[in-house]
Amino acid sequence: MLETEELKKVFKGKIAVEGANLYLDKGESVGLLGPNGAGKSTTISMISTLLKPSSGDVRLYGKSVIKNPGKMRQVLGVVPQEIALYGELTAYENLKFFGRIYGLSGKDLEISIQRVLELVGLVDRQKEIVKTYSGGMKRRVNIAAAMMHEPEVIIMDEPTVGIDPQSRSHILEMVRQLNQEKGLTVLYTSHYMEEVERLCDRVYVMDHGRIIASGTKEELKSILSSEETVWMELDRPYPEFFKELQSFDGIRQAAEIGKGINFIVPKGSRVLGNLFQAAERHRAQIVNVTVQTPTLEDVFLHLTGRKLRD
Amino acid sequence: MGAFLKKDVLVLLRDRTEVAVLLGMPFILIAILGFALGGLIGGDTEVLKMQVAIVQEDDEKQGIEQFAAALNNSGMSAEQETALLAVAKETSPSTLLRGILADGNLGELVTTEEMEATAAEEALKDEKVVAILTLPENFTLDALRNMLLGIGTGSELQLTISDYAATQSDVFRNILDEFAWSLSFESTVSRMAAEEGKVYGAPNFEVGGIEAVSAANPINSMQYYTIGMAVMFSLFVAGTIGSKAFVERQQFVFDRILLSDRNPLVYLGSKAITAAAITFCQLAILFVFSSLIFQTFDLTNLKLWPGIALIAAVFAICVGTLASLLTALTIRLNNETVNSVFSGSLVILFAFLGGSFMPTEGMPVFIREVGDWTPNGAALTAFLIWLQEMEIKPLWGMLNRVLATSALLLLLSLLLFPRKGAA
Ligand SMILES: Nc1ncnc2c1ncn2[C@@H]1O[C@H](COP(=O)(O)OP(=O)(O)OP(=O)(O)O)[C@@H](O)[C@H]1O
Ligand SMILES: [Mg+2]
Repeated sequence: MLETEELKKVFKGKIAVEGANLYLDKGESVGLLGPNGAGKSTTISMISTLLKPSSGDVRLYGKSVIKNPGKMRQVLGVVPQEIALYGELTAYENLKFFGRIYGLSGKDLEISIQRVLELVGLVDRQKEIVKTYSGGMKRRVNIAAAMMHEPEVIIMDEPTVGIDPQSRSHILEMVRQLNQEKGLTVLYTSHYMEEVERLCDRVYVMDHGRIIASGTKEELKSILSSEETVWMELDRPYPEFFKELQSFDGIRQAAEIGKGINFIVPKGSRVLGNLFQAAERHRAQIVNVTVQTPTLEDVFLHLTGRKLRD
Repeated sequence: MGAFLKKDVLVLLRDRTEVAVLLGMPFILIAILGFALGGLIGGDTEVLKMQVAIVQEDDEKQGIEQFAAALNNSGMSAEQETALLAVAKETSPSTLLRGILADGNLGELVTTEEMEATAAEEALKDEKVVAILTLPENFTLDALRNMLLGIGTGSELQLTISDYAATQSDVFRNILDEFAWSLSFESTVSRMAAEEGKVYGAPNFEVGGIEAVSAANPINSMQYYTIGMAVMFSLFVAGTIGSKAFVERQQFVFDRILLSDRNPLVYLGSKAITAAAITFCQLAILFVFSSLIFQTFDLTNLKLWPGIALIAAVFAICVGTLASLLTALTIRLNNETVNSVFSGSLVILFAFLGGSFMPTEGMPVFIREVGDWTPNGAALTAFLIWLQEMEIKPLWGMLNRVLATSALLLLLSLLLFPRKGAA
C-alpha cells in the first residue's frame, strides 16, 4: 500500500538519506534498523510528509503524496522519536486537543480518548499533568496521541527509547496486538534488535543513509548462516588436542578460552564427527557443545562492521 | 479553531512564571513607580525612608516682596496685580516644596532638616542624609517671575545625592522632578487665569500631576503608571506567545499539528486571537485591581469605562498581530532569537519611547513623535486623551495608528509564515 522510490535527502550538502527504496504491504509489520545517525528519522519524516525529499517519491496506493500530502496524513499515525506533547497539559487534555484537530468531537472524541488510554494503560492517570509523568508514561501518551484518529498505518520512531522494562514490554505487546489482531500496518524503527525480532515480519537495515540489507528475518539471517560458531567445553585444557584441532580442514579462528575451545566451521560440515574421535584419542572429556545460529545483531555486525549500539 | 484557542490559553495559564510576569510584575511596578512619584504608600516603605538636608540660600519673604515690586512696574491693572500677588503668596515654590515634603505620606518617607551648606556636606559624607537640596539665592523671585510672568529662565533646584543610597536618592530625585513638572504646569494655568482677569484661588496642588494637556482632569502618577505598565507588559504577551510557539516547534507538537492536515493558518490565527484575548484580560485585570487597591480610576464612573475598553480592545488586536508575526518568524527560522530579542530589548525600547517609564513630554520632539508611533505609546497617549477629554472622537488619531500597525504586522506575518510547515 505504501512505497518509496529512490528517496534522497541532502542537508546543506550532507547526504542524510540516499536511494531508499522500501515498501509496506497492508497489515504488515516492518522493522527499520540502524545505528545512530543512519537516517531512519529522516526517512520517516519524508514518508510522513513532514520533510520534502531532495529527490525520489513516496506513494500511497500508487499515488504520489509529495504534492498532495492530505491523503497520506489521513491514514497515517506517527509516533515521533521525541515526546511531542504539551507538558503543561494533562494526558486527557493533550489527547482531546490532538483528537479535535483531526476533526473528532463530542461523543466520538470521548470514546476515542478512552480507547487509546486503555490501549496504553493510562486510564487511571489521565488527569495528571504530562510533565509530571515518568519517561515511560510520557512515551505511552506519545503513542496514544498518534492513535486518536484510528490510522491504518502507524510509523513509530524508536518508541521505547530510555524507558523502564515494564513500560517497554507493555508497548511491545500493544504494538504486536494492534498489528496481529487489528490488522494495523506498522513501520517500527529501533536500534533494539530484540524488539524488531519480536515484532516484525520484515526488516530493513540502514546505515550511513542507505538501506544495506532487507528481507524477512530468516532471509537476513541466512546471510550469515553459511557458517556456524561452535563452543566446545572440556573438563580441563588439552593443549595437544587443541593443536590437532587447528590442523583440521574447515576449522577457522580456533581459540582456547579457559577450559573450552571456540571456533567457526562451515554450515553442515562433517568435521564435528572427526573432532569427537580426536577428543576420544586424547582422552579429553567433552562437557558441553553448543552450535550458535546467528542473530540479527550478528547480521548487523557482519554488514556494517559495527554493533548496533555502541 | 476552538481547539487551538483552548489549548493556547491553557498552556499559557498553566505556566505560573509567565502569569506572574504578565500580571504580578506590572502590578509591583505600578505600586513602586506610582508610589515613589505620587506619594501613595502601600506596603513596606521602611527601606525607602530617608533624611534630606535642605540648604536655604533663598530668602522667601524678600523674594515675594521683590516680586511684588516687579509687578508694580509691569504696567498691569491693579486687579491683575492683586490676583497675581495672591497667587504668588499661595504658590511660592519654596513653601510648596516644603509643604509637599512634610505632607502626609511623603512626610513619613522624607525627613528634612535645614542646614548650613558646609554642615550639609558633612552630613552627606557621614551618610546622615541621602541628599542635599539647595534652594539657591533668589530662588523664589526667579521662579515666581518665570512661573507667573513668563520672564527669565526660572530658577534651578540643586540636588546633591549620595551614591551609598541609590534607591532612596533616586526616589527623592523623582519626587523633585514631579514637583518641577507640576509646578510649570500649574503656573501656566495660573498665568492664564490671571491674564484673563479672573482671580485664581489657591492651586489644587497634586504631586504627580503630569502630562496634563488640559486642566480639566489632571492625571495622577498612579493612573499614568497603571496605563504605562499595562501597555508595556501587554507587549510581553506577544513575546510569550512567540516562545510558546517555539516550544511547540522544538518539541515536535507542531509536526503533529501539520500531520493532522489542518490549514496551518488556523494555528497562526489562534496565536493572534489568544494573544489579543489575553492582552485584553490582562489590561482589564490591571486596571480594575489598580483601581481597587490604589483608587486609580473611579470604578463607579460608568462613563469612564467604555473609552478605556475601546482603546484596550484596539491595542489588544495589535498585540495579537504582533504575536502572530513573532510566531511566523519563530516557526520559519526555527529559532528563539526573535522572541528573546523582542522581550529582552525591543519591549524595553518601545516602553521607553512610548513613555511607560516616564512621560515623554520633556524629551526631544522627535522621540515623542517616534514614541507615538509605537503601539504602546499610541495606546498610552490615547488613554491619556480619553481620561482628560472623555470623548471618543479625539482618540481616533492614535487608534488609527494602532490599527494601521496591526494591519501591517498581520500582513507581514502572513507573508512570513511557512504555509506548508517547515522544510
Ligand atoms: N535538519 C537537519 N539538518 C541537518 N542535518 C540533519 C538534519 N536532520 C538530520 N540530519 C543529519 O542526517 C543524518 C541522519 O539523521 P537521522 O536523524 O535521520 O538519523 P537516525 O537514524 O534517526 O538516528 P537516531 O537513531 O540517532 O535517531 C544525521 O547525520 C544527522 O546529523
Ligand atoms: Mg532518529
